[in-house]
Amino acid sequence: MERNIVLVIDFIGKNLTLKKMKLLFSSLLLVAITFASQAQSKLTIRGTVKDTTNLPLDYTSVLLLSPKDSALVAYTLTNKSGEYLFKNVDRQPLLIKATYMGYLPIQKELVLPETDVLEVEEIRLMPILQELYEVVVKAAKAPLMMRGDTLEYDASKFKVPPGATLEELLRKLPGIQIDKDGNIVAQGQQVQKVTVDGRRFFGGNTKMATQNLNAESISKLQLYDDKSEQSKLTGVDDGVKEKTLNVELKEEAKKGGFGKVSAAGGTDGRYSTNASYNKFDKVNQFSIIGYGNNVNQTGLSFDDLQEFRGSSAFQFGDTGDFGFNGSGGINYITFSGGDREESFEIPFNNLSSGFSNNEAIGVNFNRLKNKKDFSGNYFYSHSDQIIESFNSRTNFLQDNSSFSSTDQSLQNNVAGHHRANLRFQNELDSANTITINAKGRLSSLNTSLGSLQELIRSSTEQSQMERDNRSNKWSGAFQGTAIYRHKFEKSGRNFAASLSNTYSKADQDGIQKSVVDLVNSTDPNTYFRNLDQLNQALNTNNTIKSSLLYVEPIKKIFFWETFYNFSQSKSETDRKVFDVEASDTRELNPDLSRFFDNTITYNRLGSSIRYANKGSNLSVGLAASNYRLNGQFSVEKKSEILGTVDKNYLNFTPNVSYWKTMKGNKRINAGYAMGVTPPNIADLQPFKDIANPLYIREGNPDLQPEVTHSFNTGYNMYDPATFINFQFSLNSTFYQSQVVQNQSIDPETFVTSFKAGNVSGGQRYFSYIGFGFPIVKTKFNAYLTANPSYTKSLALINSIETETNTLSHNVGVNLDLTPIEWLSLYAGTSFRLSKTKYEQNPSQNQDIVNLSAYTNMNVKLPKDFYFDMKFNYNRFENESFGFSQEVPILNAFIYKLIGEAKKWEVRLSAYDVFKQNQTISQFAGQNFVSTGRIETLSRYFLLGVTYNMRGVEVKSRR
Amino acid sequence: MKLKLLNILVLILITTGLRAQNIVGEVEYRYKIFYDKIYSSLPHLTQQERDRILLTWNNPEGYSTRMKLQFWPEKSLYTYGEPYEVRSYSWQVQDYFIENNLNDQTYLKYMDQMGKTYIVRDSLNAPKWRVMNEIRDILGHMCMKAVSEDPIKGQKITAWFASDIPVPIGPEEQFGLPGLILAYDINDGMLIVEAEKITFGEPEQIITLPKKMKGRELSGSAYQDIVKKFIQTSVETKRAWMWEIRY
Repeated sequence: MERNIVLVIDFIGKNLTLKKMKLLFSSLLLVAITFASQAQSKLTIRGTVKDTTNLPLDYTSVLLLSPKDSALVAYTLTNKSGEYLFKNVDRQPLLIKATYMGYLPIQKELVLPETDVLEVEEIRLMPILQELYEVVVKAAKAPLMMRGDTLEYDASKFKVPPGATLEELLRKLPGIQIDKDGNIVAQGQQVQKVTVDGRRFFGGNTKMATQNLNAESISKLQLYDDKSEQSKLTGVDDGVKEKTLNVELKEEAKKGGFGKVSAAGGTDGRYSTNASYNKFDKVNQFSIIGYGNNVNQTGLSFDDLQEFRGSSAFQFGDTGDFGFNGSGGINYITFSGGDREESFEIPFNNLSSGFSNNEAIGVNFNRLKNKKDFSGNYFYSHSDQIIESFNSRTNFLQDNSSFSSTDQSLQNNVAGHHRANLRFQNELDSANTITINAKGRLSSLNTSLGSLQELIRSSTEQSQMERDNRSNKWSGAFQGTAIYRHKFEKSGRNFAASLSNTYSKADQDGIQKSVVDLVNSTDPNTYFRNLDQLNQALNTNNTIKSSLLYVEPIKKIFFWETFYNFSQSKSETDRKVFDVEASDTRELNPDLSRFFDNTITYNRLGSSIRYANKGSNLSVGLAASNYRLNGQFSVEKKSEILGTVDKNYLNFTPNVSYWKTMKGNKRINAGYAMGVTPPNIADLQPFKDIANPLYIREGNPDLQPEVTHSFNTGYNMYDPATFINFQFSLNSTFYQSQVVQNQSIDPETFVTSFKAGNVSGGQRYFSYIGFGFPIVKTKFNAYLTANPSYTKSLALINSIETETNTLSHNVGVNLDLTPIEWLSLYAGTSFRLSKTKYEQNPSQNQDIVNLSAYTNMNVKLPKDFYFDMKFNYNRFENESFGFSQEVPILNAFIYKLIGEAKKWEVRLSAYDVFKQNQTISQFAGQNFVSTGRIETLSRYFLLGVTYNMRGVEVKSRR
Repeated sequence: MKLKLLNILVLILITTGLRAQNIVGEVEYRYKIFYDKIYSSLPHLTQQERDRILLTWNNPEGYSTRMKLQFWPEKSLYTYGEPYEVRSYSWQVQDYFIENNLNDQTYLKYMDQMGKTYIVRDSLNAPKWRVMNEIRDILGHMCMKAVSEDPIKGQKITAWFASDIPVPIGPEEQFGLPGLILAYDINDGMLIVEAEKITFGEPEQIITLPKKMKGRELSGSAYQDIVKKFIQTSVETKRAWMWEIRY
């Protein structure tokens, strides 16, 4: 893109006349003879420097250089009489060079005398043409290059408007005029012909060239005297020179493109394909990507995502939320990759479980020019997933008895998501920046669920329920954000304002059917119920947010920060449930149908003082936050109002944070924050919700917000010389007021009633310790981790306060072994023991064990063959249930790169060689323990080919 | 020999006292580094990775730091200047001082490098300069082009020196030309150091080294060995040494 125009001007001419040369030479000869008798190896060199008017030039730099590489040998300055003197110079071929401000440097080869003293002929410096120096060197900042008697300069700095012609460019160059007829006149002589890349342009018609060639497509201009056409034809030099302007067109601006295609097919009809292409230059980046597979890959890889989004891959600070947050003072930047319905982001690094067919396609365009950054992308993803799962759950009752339920289900989810993101950032000037973000999504989700639930009350009492649920859902959302940032003239004084609006709508239709089979139970109040219902739900939400921030610096190390946050979220939920009485009659069920609309208004005003100096940062602040919750609900829209919510909460939240970076890559941090979360509006309704007859929810109008006090502290260091690194962090949360679901379980019907309430005394501690060190430097590294955690939770169960303590230990060892260029080996293991203790019910205490180990191996074999292996072993144990499950998974790949440029790859992959694959989860809750298992893709083989325009990437090291 | 020549120049300047206003002063440089270009040039990267880095981290403005050089005919002092912008957070301020003494041809470097603090003292050894046939104007001073190489860091250095400021001084580790180095560039734009302001005359506030200098005392060659080894290890382990050693 950079224009590199070099103009050559025959400028100096034959300046030193022959006469003068002769004179100098004879005097030089004389000096040489005088000293011939004392020939030694060391030289003394002297002479004078004058200007063209014969005035001595003092203070001129005189340099001695080696002629073969211009290496600097010696240098000095001239005195008041323009004289210079070098002593003790080694006898070697030498160049002498003199340079003085405003004069053209002159350089010439020295003829070494027989004697040890060399009197150099007088050096005369020519002043640089005033216009040339002012316009080219000073104003356009283009370096001047001396080539013999001619001067060249890079005229890329000469600004011409876009679309300007060569003529307009020539007008800007010193020493060149365009006369009234459009002829080019250089140094008083008319230019006879114009050539393009050395070839005649339209018969050498100069005007044709100057008026038609685009200045931006020109890389070099050279002006020289060419032989006449006549002499070229005849081969006889007639001595006539033609002033010639040669135009060199520039090579294509820095442009590039790369792309790859890969396709693989295998056993059981498994396949995987993906393709991407990028095209870019300095201003524009364009990319397209797509994939299709039935091997559970539901997102881009992180590398592909980066390439796809290019310069827009990482944008920080686009949320427009200002002021400290309630989680301990540090704003974490998180990247989440899932293909969730609510997300506007492109899914990446996402593997789904079960069996799925996935397709996606996306386009991205970025343009960066003149401090205006634009980026936009569109991504469509579609997946059809089948999940076969088995869950079992044991619920504990207060009398030390328990009951269990199992659920075997088959679920089919078909989801399609259209997502579009647009971002525009304009740095209006050095003080003002505007960022505009627009995001939109449109999703369709169809799910069908068939399940068989079993309730085991005792060995003799069991019941079963078959469920068949289906739903279709359309949802869409739009979010627009504008952020304005202003920097005041006083450095450090800043102002920022943001405004955003998010609108979302979801429309869902579904059927719910269940059939109960009472195997051994005769209980009329059965746990399960027969159902045949239709439901419809229409939810809308509109949220407006705005934030203001003002920062005032005090003596460059103190900052007074003031912020204001406002948000208002209005939502409307319209859920209708119909009982299907007969095949064609349906009747609204008033117990299950709800119309609910509410508004949550949030205002926060806060201020903090920050100290930032020499790596230390301390911030102390206080904010007043106010939540206002308004809502009302009824069975249907405009029917009798069943209840209203009108709550107002005011809290003062202090916030302290400290961090310091120290010498030797060490960092320490500590913080305290108070967090306030308002209750969920649904938990405030003074009404029993029996939408799910097994789990009845009752609102609590006296519910208070959840108030937490969080403390965090951390330390980390890294020594780049020894590769030793250490990390430590401890985060703790104390609940001043925690919103919990108090439960009561009917011992006869097992129906659980929930009512939200506030308790205080809950605690959570999370810590992390990591230590990495080399065992053999550059070849063998170890990394040890431990992250113990402790949680104490409280709730009322059947009106008894129960306390559940979970202490979890997790230790891990990771080893990286890269002994030789062609082999890398990674291995690690981790052990997790999670002990859950029930204070009121110690007989139910649980010990859950997860043990995992992995080995990854990459081997580079001869002839561009590679072998990779990944082995993962997981073991799940829960002694009190006698549960123990091992899942070893082995994946192996062998591939070969083909061709000199290694653009082709053939790969054979084997997944889950031991045919084990299932996903297992274990969880111990307040009064239950659950385990889940999902059947997923088992052993398959793939054979595939990849073509990569830039050569296939081999990732042997992580 | 260079040593002697430097001495001669110093001697001339001191004895003649020629236009003394031009040989004492302070220069503010903009140290502009282009991490995207540097990082994408690492030898172990594939073409695809290079393109990916340039696509995602492309930063045509570079990352700027203000540096300050004070010069006299017999010595120079170099360290950080005032930051360009007052920010409400502060990273650890790295120590980086260079003091060149032209009278006894020695230098002192006090700097945080490779996670440690070093105090390096040795005699001055100028880069091997080659003087080219090109001139350029920097802040009203006509500068000549000179080039050299740093084989350890694999750098091609292009410097511009002003012969009308005849002190063999420059920013960072560049010096030994017949005039003050007002700008230099590494590997065609991976790092650009350029003077933004020159004030002649005795500086108002002379740069002072910290009173208590704590760090590892080393000779220049011993320090060079550490740097060489560090770069070698970094290349072997496919890490970027540029994060830890001043480029």
